[in-house]
Amino acid sequence: MRSRAVNLFFLFSALGLVVAAQAGLLDNYILTVLMFMGINCIFAASLNLVNGYMGEFSCGHGGFMCVGAYAGSLLSVAFFTNSKLFGAPIFAPELAPLLFPLVLLGAGLAAALFGLIVALPSFHTRDDYLAIITIAANYIIISIVENIDAIGGPRGFSGMKRSVAAMNDVLELPWMLIWVILGTFVCTLILYRLVTSTYGKGIPAVCQNEVAAEIMGVNTNRVKIMAFMVSSGLAGLAGALYAHVYGYVNAQAFNILKSTEGLVMVYLGGMGSLSGVMLAAVAFTLLVEALRFIIPALNDILHVSGLLPADFEISQIWKWVLIPFILILLMQFRPEGLLGNRELTQAFPRLRRWVSFK
Amino acid sequence: MSLLEIRGLTQRFGGLQALSNFSASLEEHGLAALIGPNGAGKTTVFNVVSGFYAPTEGSIFLNGKPIQGMKPHQITALGLARTFQNIRLWNELSVLDNIRVAQHHWLGYGFLSAVLRSGRYMAAEKRVESKSREVLEIMGLAEHAAELPRNLPYGVQRRVELARAISTNPRLLLLDEPAAGLNSADVDGLIRLIRWIHEEFKICIWMIEHQMKVVTSLCRWITVIDFGRIIAEGGPREIQNNPEVIKAYLGDDTL
Repeated sequence: MRSRAVNLFFLFSALGLVVAAQAGLLDNYILTVLMFMGINCIFAASLNLVNGYMGEFSCGHGGFMCVGAYAGSLLSVAFFTNSKLFGAPIFAPELAPLLFPLVLLGAGLAAALFGLIVALPSFHTRDDYLAIITIAANYIIISIVENIDAIGGPRGFSGMKRSVAAMNDVLELPWMLIWVILGTFVCTLILYRLVTSTYGKGIPAVCQNEVAAEIMGVNTNRVKIMAFMVSSGLAGLAGALYAHVYGYVNAQAFNILKSTEGLVMVYLGGMGSLSGVMLAAVAFTLLVEALRFIIPALNDILHVSGLLPADFEISQIWKWVLIPFILILLMQFRPEGLLGNRELTQAFPRLRRWVSFK
Repeated sequence: MSLLEIRGLTQRFGGLQALSNFSASLEEHGLAALIGPNGAGKTTVFNVVSGFYAPTEGSIFLNGKPIQGMKPHQITALGLARTFQNIRLWNELSVLDNIRVAQHHWLGYGFLSAVLRSGRYMAAEKRVESKSREVLEIMGLAEHAAELPRNLPYGVQRRVELARAISTNPRLLLLDEPAAGLNSADVDGLIRLIRWIHEEFKICIWMIEHQMKVVTSLCRWITVIDFGRIIAEGGPREIQNNPEVIKAYLGDDTL
């Protein structure tokens, strides 16, 4: 009953957003930021399955997002648009709004397959050594993509705007906002249902004592494969959404910096806390966007007040100093994240009046 | 047919011979002990039987099925459970969840069912939930269901580990030093508990134990090993008077 109130609240906020976007109340910038919140939520929450619940340190999550972004882009361009690469569309472009979930699914499956690069070594390796493998996986994926000339190589790949346009030709709606909201919802549902099931609780069991898990009947290798594939698959979903929001993908957008963003969100929210990481993803997106305004403002203030030499400018690059710096501060002072492995309802018991998290 | 049959088990780690030609046989619903001085190879026997190491030589049959070389989770599914010398609970999962996860091998559903909340998932979760509550109830742990194991007293943690092992539905239960770290009042309780488990669940229990009080008051058959070899076998009375055993425990330079 009580959690129905919360569900209704989310449903109405989602509908409200879509209606507001449709009515033109939200400008494009705000809309993009909102969509990136959703994408970051998926990206961080999926990384949390491995880094939080399973206790491994994956720092190549951007690679799987890259696979999903390219797979999703290729599928969507092949399905719905006329392109030099694939020729005529496979499906009638009018079907785009209906079949777009297939694109997302395909992107997720492709990324999940690449998740095996990390899942298979995890049978015999863990901790630092596995972390090194994940970085390597990130680099391998980006190098592969950059060296396939047919999909643009280092120049990147575009054409997804035409798929989105095909959807708009059928019905004028903020399609990408709708897909991002649905994607975030599905991702949250999958992760929530997984980690609250007895089957999914095998994941923290592997983390907390692998020997006991195996001897008490948990097929630890299968659990690891499942966790890595679900995690990378959902990152792939985030990647496909990202590609369609931007309309352009480039492998370098998913390098180690992207993976670091994921780590910051997970460790900010709290490892093994689904609600904490989601909140952190929202907060992090807002912070990164705020820096776009804060950095130039700070630059001006320091110049006007004469604290900075006239020929020295603080540029947006400082974002990449600040974000890893947040990670350093977190690791130093609160390594378990803001919420630790607790959910919001455990940290703030009053919330239990409204929602339960088992 | 015996429940567990070990024939000619030899285990080498590099140049170290941990077990040589170890054989044993346990009857259905038996209660036996494996004792010996520190480093004799007792835990190695348990580790090989539960599938943690593949034996260098020899064969192991559980209920007539060869299990050497199987993965531990497969052996658990065939009806073997164990506890550990140093408690190995999942400390960030509640006591109830510890019991639930130990039923992983007979869930019968996978990722898709869990996400779709299919009928199979619902049925399995219901079964697991009622089985877990039942085990907690009869083990006197119901009041601790929602707590984290690391917040419980040591003796209770031992009981949780036993409950977790029982919830896998074993036919053979291996206990690795169940009385380690317990005070004498707790030890008396443990003896009653093990005897009760043995009767209640009609299972076979094989234990490694240093406290002779536990061994002699529970076990009808005792195997003594030293340096990976069996040096004596028999009932409690025979073992206590066996000169080989006394020599192994006290050293042979006495008198």
